[in-house]
Amino acid sequence: MSFEDDEIVQGFVEESLEHLAGIENDLLAIEEAGTDIDVELVNKVFRAAHSIKGGAGFMGLSVIQDLAHASENVLGLIRAGKLVPTPEIINVLLLAADELQRLIENISTSNTIDISSHTIALNSIFEGGEAPASASMRATNTDIPAPDDPFETAKISVDATAESANPVEPEIRVESAVREEEHLAEESEDSYSEDDDLVNALPSETGGTPKTRRSSSSQKTDTTIRVTVSLLDQLMNLAGELVLSRNQLLQTITSGDVRNAEAVGQRIDLVTSELQEAIMLTRMQPIGNVFNKFPRVVRDLSKKLGKQIDLTIVGKDVELDKTIIEAINDPLTHLVRNSVDHGIESPQDRTRKGKDACGLIVLKAYHAAGQVVIEISDDGKGLDGDMLAEAAVKKGLISSDQAKVMSEKERINLILLPGFSTAKKVTDVSGRGVGMDVVKTNLDQLGGSIEIDSEVGKGSTISIKLPLTLAIIPCQIVMTGGERYAIPQVNLEELLRIPAAKVKERVERVGDAEVVRLRGNLLPLIRMADVFDIEPTYFDPVNEETYPDRRRNIADRRSKSTPLFRDPSAQEKTNSLEAREESDQKQPRKEQERRQSPSSALNIVVVSTGAMKYGIIVDRLHDSEEIVIKPLGRHLQQCQGYAGATIMGDGRIALILDVSNIARMAGLTSLDGSERAGELAEAAKEALTKARDKQALLTFSSSPSEQFGVPLNQVERVEKIKRTDIEEIGGRRVMQYRGGSLPLISIDEVASVLPLADRDDLLVIVFHLAGKDIGLLATGPIDAIEISAEIDDVTLKQTGIMGSTIIAAKTTMLVNIFEIVKVSNPQWFEDHAAYSGIDTGDDIAPTILIVEDSNFFRNQVKGYMEEAGFNILEGEDGRVAWRILEEQGETINLVVTDIEMPNMDGFELTERIKNDKRFHHLPVIALTTLAGEEDIARGKAVGVDEYHIKLDKERLMESVHRHTKSAVAA
Amino acid sequence: MAEPKNLTKNIIELATFYVGNALCGMDILKVQEINKLMEMTKVPQAPDYMLGILNLRGQIVTIIDLGQKLGLGAAELSGESRNIIINAPGEHVGLMVSKISDVVMADPGKIEPAPANMNGIQGAFFTGVYKTENKLIGILDVKEVLRID
Repeated sequence: MSFEDDEIVQGFVEESLEHLAGIENDLLAIEEAGTDIDVELVNKVFRAAHSIKGGAGFMGLSVIQDLAHASENVLGLIRAGKLVPTPEIINVLLLAADELQRLIENISTSNTIDISSHTIALNSIFEGGEAPASASMRATNTDIPAPDDPFETAKISVDATAESANPVEPEIRVESAVREEEHLAEESEDSYSEDDDLVNALPSETGGTPKTRRSSSSQKTDTTIRVTVSLLDQLMNLAGELVLSRNQLLQTITSGDVRNAEAVGQRIDLVTSELQEAIMLTRMQPIGNVFNKFPRVVRDLSKKLGKQIDLTIVGKDVELDKTIIEAINDPLTHLVRNSVDHGIESPQDRTRKGKDACGLIVLKAYHAAGQVVIEISDDGKGLDGDMLAEAAVKKGLISSDQAKVMSEKERINLILLPGFSTAKKVTDVSGRGVGMDVVKTNLDQLGGSIEIDSEVGKGSTISIKLPLTLAIIPCQIVMTGGERYAIPQVNLEELLRIPAAKVKERVERVGDAEVVRLRGNLLPLIRMADVFDIEPTYFDPVNEETYPDRRRNIADRRSKSTPLFRDPSAQEKTNSLEAREESDQKQPRKEQERRQSPSSALNIVVVSTGAMKYGIIVDRLHDSEEIVIKPLGRHLQQCQGYAGATIMGDGRIALILDVSNIARMAGLTSLDGSERAGELAEAAKEALTKARDKQALLTFSSSPSEQFGVPLNQVERVEKIKRTDIEEIGGRRVMQYRGGSLPLISIDEVASVLPLADRDDLLVIVFHLAGKDIGLLATGPIDAIEISAEIDDVTLKQTGIMGSTIIAAKTTMLVNIFEIVKVSNPQWFEDHAAYSGIDTGDDIAPTILIVEDSNFFRNQVKGYMEEAGFNILEGEDGRVAWRILEEQGETINLVVTDIEMPNMDGFELTERIKNDKRFHHLPVIALTTLAGEEDIARGKAVGVDEYHIKLDKERLMESVHRHTKSAVAA
Repeated sequence: MAEPKNLTKNIIELATFYVGNALCGMDILKVQEINKLMEMTKVPQAPDYMLGILNLRGQIVTIIDLGQKLGLGAAELSGESRNIIINAPGEHVGLMVSKISDVVMADPGKIEPAPANMNGIQGAFFTGVYKTENKLIGILDVKEVLRID
């Protein structure tokens, strides 16, 4: 074997690999067509094999030549219609094609490889195809498309054999062997011309699909890429332009012409952007390069597993950066295999479930919002969030309390947690999950993200979002310790600035960790200075200087010095640090002044790693910029916090932060900010329960100047809409919502408050009342907060407003949504059990004892019960209630009690009632602000009949009606 | 740069420089350039001997404090401090030295094995020493200097 010219060999390798890539899919198509042979297609494969054979023979690659020859023989039979391409035959051909590829990739050693298993298999098919020929003695016209081998046909499809095998079977030709040989002779004759094709193909197919994914790992040479000549021309053109512009710039600099400099600057700007774009284009490749191998993967695997699966591929033409295409290969394969292996059920299972026995996997790529989305969806059995959560709890990845509060989607995404899916056990439970965290890590490295949607029994959809290119990414620039850092926009959730006055209120310290309350969730906070072990600093926007930060806690005040009178002369010295400290010391400790200083505001970058969110505290927030990623040197590989570096406009370098690794470094590891955050949430919840009678409110606005609140537990959901979404029909406002019409109201329709702001972007707060949905029109900003129950139910009370409270220094009116709906849609309540009055008949109305220490809540509950016609007795705490029971126990039919009360709490009261012979028949309904599971369990233990959330009028009244009815009946 | 080598076959050129008070040298062909760019970006969490990273015409160059790496203590920045940018496999690395000295023509045959310790620097960092009329030049083992501990 002699390699005369490396270039020729290289050309042969590239060419052959290209042929082989095509062969795979073509063979699959041939298999699918079965007896209905597409000659054109078979010809194509035949010619590919033939070209490889020709090239290999030319270069003395005898093994490759032999294998290609054997394949070609079989293909020749198929082409001539003498052999029906059964799955078995195609399988052998595919295996041969794989082997060919391996040989060609390792071309220098190819002649030493033993390929006999392939050639034997191929030759036996080839000869087998003729075996019947020797058996039969009659020559016939070979033009008859004769299905020949009865053994083979029997194996494929029943109808094919039934139709054709018997009658035509004996008509086989004697000449066929001869003909084959002729045929081959013909082929070798024109093999020269085909070799010409081979050479010609190089320039002519430049727009084709280069085989980058074949870049074999064994020989790590530079991979090549094919670029259309027109694109190269364009690049040359642009380079020329750039040179011209440079000359102009140099000229302008020498002449000092400022105005011209501007023009030249613009020109260079334009040329560079165009150049950048064009160069990017050279790296772009269709994702079909990766997708094309999946028909084979799905076919082989489903065959092995005895499943029937159709694969649909959409969006092969979507282009992505070469590096991404290469890197996405493994994760995608993994996901597709997962879908085949675990997603799609066996045909029997599917039929039993009433699904089509043949499963469907859809592979789809499309552009969305500057990113490429790849979706792998199957109609298999889906993921069971509960099982995943259970498994995650068992593995100690999350606490059972965390699991309880998770949404179904969060539970499904647990599968992505590192450490989740290493054990086989989980696979048994979940059906999925081998190495999903590896997939996620791979995607993280690409700056992509992964999301799983799944419905048990219906299937799963895994969406992967990828940047178009890795080279240039948009980033948020932040500053800490006097250095700039870049945070990739994909990781960025939002930017949060907590004004100095609110730091103490919003930032809480639980254990040794700091958290910030963000729309009702606790967000773990890390100070970048801590993680990177650099000197903490802060930026003073007034002086525009960075100073060392000496606070220990975020919520601490800047200065811990003893208050003294301020030395007026110190002010002049504030430029030097020492002087500043001195001035700090002399400064009187005026809480307001220090706290309100803008330098005390916190700048938080809320980032998401996909599995969790957390906040990074930085000194300053700069702009968002498109940056070019440059790799860090070898010496910095061990520093985990960085994804690379970039060069800023001023020539200095900024490090790019790797938010996943930073979270790991800071000890935040898993979902929702890890166990630590879980502990925090737990602790915070405990603290909340301890602080009695807290009420979670959703605050919002309607007019710009008034703030409203509504109990959070009444809210179904909040939707953002445009004013144009509102339709006015029949004198009512409605919008389309989940396939129906959602009636809309605004507070000003009922209560005398300022009219709804005339804005384009509105919010709709959806409530579920009397079995129907209703939307309350509102405007932002919305926030979810917890307040203690100091509610003033006198001053601002009116129809639709149950009272007011002060939230964040703003008077907030509490909306009584029941009243509002009742006024606007009275008919809703007429036929709904919870709102009907009681039908007392001749009897006296049932009497309800309400025990509640908060006047506001007591009055609320009393209000709607009296309205329904009940007699009401009230007590401020358990002890008072007990006294009332002792005195007039026989008249009372039902007790509604709060849990948290002074003197005697609801548990004790219930216990006493239930243990007293006189009262143990009385139903007790407990009211609580937070229906914590432990509370509920404890309440049930002492005998609470039912639990309800305060201000959830509908449920409470329903059960009051139910209980009084049965109580009266008894 | 390559010309003199061809002309005088058996002579190598040593770029010499001071690290603290120690005179060191390395084959000049390993040096890409010498500059005095000191606008470095610090990298938190990097090893002590890493001064930071530098933008060298669009390439990120890691700068190593040679003094610290050789165990002589952190370098003091002065007007004479220079970065010697060397071609390492796959990247460029800068070595910050206290002062640049002459280019010395050396006969490879006269390079002697390095002593165990030279001016307080471990012998392991040197491939040998070269004696001139009045000076002793430690020839730096660049591979060893760039080795990651």
